Amino acid sequence: MSQQRSEMIRLDLPAQYAYLHLLSETIAALLRQAGANDELLVYNVQLAAHEVCTNIIQHAYRHRSHSDNRISIALTFHHQPPRIEIELHDTGESFTPELASHPHLSEAQIHGYGLFLIRHLMDHVGYIAHPDGNCWRLVKRLT
Amino acid sequence: MDIKLRHVGTVAIITIAGRFDAYTAPSVQQWLEQATAAPGARVLVDLTDTTFVDSTGLATLVAALKRCQQGQGEFALCGLRRPIMMIFELTRLDKAFNIFVDTDHALAVLNA
Repeated sequence: MSQQRSEMIRLDLPAQYAYLHLLSETIAALLRQAGANDELLVYNVQLAAHEVCTNIIQHAYRHRSHSDNRISIALTFHHQPPRIEIELHDTGESFTPELASHPHLSEAQIHGYGLFLIRHLMDHVGYIAHPDGNCWRLVKRLT
Repeated sequence: MDIKLRHVGTVAIITIAGRFDAYTAPSVQQWLEQATAAPGARVLVDLTDTTFVDSTGLATLVAALKRCQQGQGEFALCGLRRPIMMIFELTRLDKAFNIFVDTDHALAVLNA
């Protein structure tokens, strides 16, 4: 019995909001190609990955001019078990996710929903700070 | 992203088409600041053609809601697509906003 190979797409985006729609479109294309057409699933993965990128732009690169700041992204669809994995690398400042504020859901807030959404929309969220940059790893199962 | 403003009765309706995210939110914010500036303003944001809302979009709407409430005005949303509505439910912002199915339902209440 033949085994389906994983499918990978790499993106190397300027760390600017104007380009983040390309990530959303790539996620939709990869999941559609893999036969995953559930609107909610696609949207939630898009939003989580997008929020990681906005976090990188707002925090990791906040003290650097944006012309040479980039976000390297590897999107992989695995068939067994079906899941999408997204790794996002930046070369900016590290941060401590545990110290990030959590939104108080009892009242509407202006800040703090980004990390909350990332954590609640994905099955696994990892963050590692390396000497030469930072790596986020997101996993969403399709079953 | 495309933003349009129209008035029906006393209600200002802002229609947002496309992505409402960190890139486009500053434009939406300008329109919302203008629409919610007057005391007692009645503002409806129509998201029927909005395809994507991120945390910056949420923050922009919350800021407008609070500004409107401070001026004793009314602020409502309508036409949220299912994935966007789910995000409002996840963040419990569905409890903070008046959310209607479409503009007709919203105007029936806001213009009453």
